[in-house]
Amino acid sequence: MVVQRLRYTKDHEWARIDADVATIGITNYAQQMLGEIVFVELPPIGKQCAENDELAIVESTKAANDVYSPLPGKVIEVNSELESRPDLINQDCYNAGWICKMQITDMKSVESLMDSKQYEEYVGSL
Amino acid sequence: MPQDNANTSPLHGAEKAPSRTALYSQHIRLTDKSHVVSFAGYLMPLWYSSIACEHTAVRDAAGIFDCTHMGVLQISGAGAAEFINQLTTNSVTSLGVMHAQYSFILDTSGNVLDDVIVYRKGGDNFILVVNAANNNKIKNWINALLDDEVCIDPEHTGRKICGRPKVQDLRATDCEHDCKVNIALQGPKSMEVLLALVQDKKTRSEITSLAPFRFMETDIVDTECLVSRTGYTGAKIGFELFVHSEKASQLWETTLQTGRPLGLLPCGLGSRDSLRIEAGLPLYGHELGGKFGISPFEAGYGWAVKLEKEFFIGKAAMERISRKYDMKVTRVILPGTKGTRPVRQDDGVLDEYGRCVGWVLSCAMIGEKQIALVYVGRESLAVNDAVGIYYLARSSGQVQQGGKQSIEKGELLAPDLLGKVVSRFAKF
Repeated sequence: MVVQRLRYTKDHEWARIDADVATIGITNYAQQMLGEIVFVELPPIGKQCAENDELAIVESTKAANDVYSPLPGKVIEVNSELESRPDLINQDCYNAGWICKMQITDMKSVESLMDSKQYEEYVGSL
Repeated sequence: MPQDNANTSPLHGAEKAPSRTALYSQHIRLTDKSHVVSFAGYLMPLWYSSIACEHTAVRDAAGIFDCTHMGVLQISGAGAAEFINQLTTNSVTSLGVMHAQYSFILDTSGNVLDDVIVYRKGGDNFILVVNAANNNKIKNWINALLDDEVCIDPEHTGRKICGRPKVQDLRATDCEHDCKVNIALQGPKSMEVLLALVQDKKTRSEITSLAPFRFMETDIVDTECLVSRTGYTGAKIGFELFVHSEKASQLWETTLQTGRPLGLLPCGLGSRDSLRIEAGLPLYGHELGGKFGISPFEAGYGWAVKLEKEFFIGKAAMERISRKYDMKVTRVILPGTKGTRPVRQDDGVLDEYGRCVGWVLSCAMIGEKQIALVYVGRESLAVNDAVGIYYLARSSGQVQQGGKQSIEKGELLAPDLLGKVVSRFAKF
């Protein structure tokens, strides 16, 4: 399952761009690969990230996995619901399972992300 | 994101492409391809439904596992009993025909090469079941012994290996009729499932009265089958079924179809790991051998090392270790509600004063709790003692913020998570 209008990374993060704010999460492919997610370490609000900086950690019963920032920016909001309900990522990774929102500092970087068609092809090639 | 390296072979980096087990087409039908991973050279399912569902099925009903990747070696012919008595630490002399026993294969310095189950089919007819990851190592070791390439006793260099039995890999393509691969059927309903596959009254009663660590040969679903009351889940009732690899799919399908109404689920490597951790059973490379070189005595299996035997390979080292060892494997229970960071290998284990007494070897999330097997000072941590866990850094970001990448024994630290020590083993 790949959602239209989102942007994607090769590391299986998604970003929903709304003006200069990006909502960020991990894709359905990622949550499926991870299995039962039991812990999410959220970034502190105000954290400045360059593209590909570590943003969060998602841990399933079998592995700890880094979530990288798809874009350069500043964390302005986190989904604190995930602290007690990390499984929301398994259940609804594109909506209730969002991880954080970032204020994008370089809008040009959005262009380097994959669109849904490109991501679908990429996942198909794995 | 997910580089889910869970349960992939820790032994090999770049290696030849993994093989398909006899049940590969069943795995691909039963789960998404992304959940079938390379493990010990084979493509194996991590889970079909979920680790938690499969774990619960084995505790409450039954589970069926593809163990066809495990090594099955037949050692037979004149001198086989004498040979295996030297090769392994447990006593073959006291092993009855159609009985099985847990044992260790050591090198001459006493390092654990593998933990194995020895099945005695006859006076000089044995089957050894070895870990998939150790299959080639053990085959090479046995061949080197039989070819007199190894000095088996550093203290008596003249000592020679006894017996020259024939060794046959029962999973090799050239063993035709004798071929045997392992399918495990485990859990309280496993007896009922198995009996549902057998019509013959006498066979049914033999299966019903089969005691733990005993086995029998019979036909199941028109297939010659070695039925053994053994397993790796801690279930009081459980079987391992050894059949020809060409019959494995048929047995798997029929068993699953028959057992589904009783709650039987196909189970992957994930629940195989969580079940054995919950039961306290060791995994080679984690609770035995591995980077700490954990001995059978430290692991809690001194009883399977028979020092009263005149000789076995590694005996001198075992005598030394049995007199003095400083560490032990212990089982610990910890909270595991959603939102609790999972405890992982190498995390620090603290006593009630916050002093690091050792490290985590394995850990599994089971319902709302975690069970960890830890390697700690022998004099520390008794049953019911409070225990703390100190999380190592999980990412380079945490290291930059001061998270530790390793912990030394004796360090004083504040625990991240509190739990308590439970009995070394558990049965279900």
